[in-house]
Amino acid sequence: MQRTSRLKRELQMLSTEPPPGITCWQTDEQVDDLRAQIVGGTGTPYEGGLFSLEIKIPERYPFEPPKMRFLTPIYHPNIDNSGRICHDALKLPPKGAWKPSLNISAVLSSIQLLMAEPNPDDPLMADISSEFKYNKQLFMEKARKWTQEHAVQRNTGVMEGNKENTPDQKSSSRKRESLTEQQEAEEPAKKTCL
Amino acid sequence: MEGSDSLEQSGSDLPESQRRRQLDRLDREEAFYQFVNNLSDEDYRLMRDNNLLGTPGEVTEDELFNRLQQIKDGPEQQNNTPSTEVGEDPVVQPENSEDPASGDSLLDWLNTVRRTGNTTRTGHRGNQSWRAVSQTNPNSGDFRFSLEISVNRNLAEQQAAAEGEQESPDEAPEGQEVVANVEPQVPMETEVVEEPVVEELAVIVEPEPELEEVVSQEILGEPPSSPAALPVQAPLSPSPRRGQRRARSRSPEPRRTRARTARSRSPLSLDQLDGLANPRQAHSSQGPNSATNAPPVPQVEGSSRTRQHVLSRQSTADTDVQPSRAGAESVPEAQNVESQEGEAAGGEGGGEGGAGGRRPPTIMLDLQVRRVRPGEYRQRDSIASRTRSRSQNSNNTFLYESERGGFRRTFSRSERAGVRTYVSTIRIPIRRISDAGLGEATSMALQSMIRQIMTGFGELGYLMDSDSDSSDSTRGASTPSDLGEALNNPDATPAAAPAADVDEAPVAAGVRARTVETDVVEGLATGPPASGGRARPRPPISLEEPSSLPFLRLAHFFLLNDDDEDQPQGLTKEQIDNLSMRNFGESDALKTCSVCITEYAEGNKLRKLPCSHEYHVHCIDRWLSENSTCPICRRAVLVSANRESVV
Repeated sequence: MQRTSRLKRELQMLSTEPPPGITCWQTDEQVDDLRAQIVGGTGTPYEGGLFSLEIKIPERYPFEPPKMRFLTPIYHPNIDNSGRICHDALKLPPKGAWKPSLNISAVLSSIQLLMAEPNPDDPLMADISSEFKYNKQLFMEKARKWTQEHAVQRNTGVMEGNKENTPDQKSSSRKRESLTEQQEAEEPAKKTCL
Repeated sequence: MEGSDSLEQSGSDLPESQRRRQLDRLDREEAFYQFVNNLSDEDYRLMRDNNLLGTPGEVTEDELFNRLQQIKDGPEQQNNTPSTEVGEDPVVQPENSEDPASGDSLLDWLNTVRRTGNTTRTGHRGNQSWRAVSQTNPNSGDFRFSLEISVNRNLAEQQAAAEGEQESPDEAPEGQEVVANVEPQVPMETEVVEEPVVEELAVIVEPEPELEEVVSQEILGEPPSSPAALPVQAPLSPSPRRGQRRARSRSPEPRRTRARTARSRSPLSLDQLDGLANPRQAHSSQGPNSATNAPPVPQVEGSSRTRQHVLSRQSTADTDVQPSRAGAESVPEAQNVESQEGEAAGGEGGGEGGAGGRRPPTIMLDLQVRRVRPGEYRQRDSIASRTRSRSQNSNNTFLYESERGGFRRTFSRSERAGVRTYVSTIRIPIRRISDAGLGEATSMALQSMIRQIMTGFGELGYLMDSDSDSSDSTRGASTPSDLGEALNNPDATPAAAPAADVDEAPVAAGVRARTVETDVVEGLATGPPASGGRARPRPPISLEEPSSLPFLRLAHFFLLNDDDEDQPQGLTKEQIDNLSMRNFGESDALKTCSVCITEYAEGNKLRKLPCSHEYHVHCIDRWLSENSTCPICRRAVLVSANRESVV
């Protein structure tokens, strides 16, 4: 597989010189299933949060883009309730902008950028998007609140926090999985994010 | 590839063995690159074009080598042999590729065609033989597919005649049923005896008028059991029927030609056919008004009428669904069609009258589905030119054209002694419509195009089918089962639904039966109106038994590949081959292929795109087979593609 050797190299690069605020690793020795974390950027409502993503590498990678999705709930115009991301680098042309010279690291960086600068004109979550456009104050508040609730590792009682957080996250990601399945089933019909 | 997935999954249980396997794969991958690098250009192309390279790491070098040897030793029959003959005398029993199962192979083949360019394939089924040719224009990337089907009716006719004699007495009631079915399909304003039907295989059956009403009702529910599908003569008075018919014709579905009905019903025996052809023409020449009298056929009509009623309701429903089409287009078209048909048929009759029943008719269907990029879509290959090319045949060319929703389709039929050619051309600017600003509409447009294509296939399939059925002596046996299939097969219905109408299922039963009954000429009549608007209850062609023809498969193919259509269009292998290639030399600066993130090694084959970006040949070829831009700078690899593309 082209992707096997390529992934090997990519992971090497990711571990040796990861982009700032981003970590990415393999889960369970599975080449095609990666996890990543993105640190919420300073000055954004996601500051202080740590956002986990799931990355699935398709069989035809790098000729197809990696599939990425947020595991941590995030309040963002381009990211839906199941964590799916509306981002052109995650799609093939002509709609998308994926190209084989991109890589996981680059895409993660661009997602980090997307977090800092939502694109309300290509919304996945229409209501959040209009909120972002017309009532930014409210948007910021909510996004911050979500960040606090879901993405912040509490400083006090790290152990406790972890204990609380872990089951929490698990359940939420479990929910997401089922959600995602549903939505993927519907996917062909609805093309919200073009 | 799937294999590797399962490997990886089981690997979580057995990380050790999995790791080993991954290592093996890496080794094989290295070997693969080495192998590719050592190939001569020619060999590389050969293997790539035949999809023998597989995925790096998938197969061993030895295996690759074996494949190369094989392909060299015995050049594949599929490739580059567009000249396979269309069997003139196809054997009656199904041959190789047209078994039920073999539809898949056709599909597979189609899939490879997409990738590899020009291919030809032929096959036989019963007295039909088909030849499918696909071409990819290297400059434009247009995809062109044509399917020709020849039907040798000699065998079938004889058999049919024989059968007809046997069956006619017994079959009478059933025959009526069939006829009844025929009607519903033909809710036309046009007149009855329009076309001379030369080649009809009509057998006279005992008329049983009383049954008709009942039968027709039932038929909707159940498949008619009459296999023979013999035209029945019902001794009813023509006038009442006529009234009925009128009513019918008012129905929103003014699609079909009456002529057909009359025809199919006509009490001709095979022997009579030749002689009768001319007289009938006379009828046809009388035109619609006089035709209403339907001289020879009155009785049958009755039964069909009834039928019609039932159906027309359904068709009404349909019409509602597609009111604009039906209303706007169908009427005028239908009339045109009629008149032209009359002429054409007349011509045919004159030419062929003598040859008549025994001539070796060949029917060629040439359906072309073409993908066109928006820029090029317009004058090029205008219908006129097409027509010209076809019309050398004779003045018996009927051409129908419609343009709707951004695509254009033509349907033409021409005849010359013994050969009838149907051409349905659909031109579709599938790609990048969105660029033109249609935006959201795109997917809808796409959908409808796909449907058009399906319908196109369907129509031809229908024509084909009616022809083959009429001439095929075995139809009797197959009909009931087909119907059953149509009604019961849930798979089939969805396929048909998009292509045709809403009320498919019930109509289908009726229609199907009718199909059995009708003959070629009828098919003709059907064709043109069909292309006009599909509002009338059409036969769900796709409900045919899988073995009947590849149409269903084709339709599925295109439907299923809908998603593909959404995706970027790749370059053809010719286009790819035109890009420059070189070997990586030791003097070159250290560089990395950005597709596989591997540094070039000495001897690696690199391909250089017009934008000067370089990649491994096998890396970039794979990308370019599905995309048309440089992976680094996204510049279009074929800048002039649009201008160049002329088919």
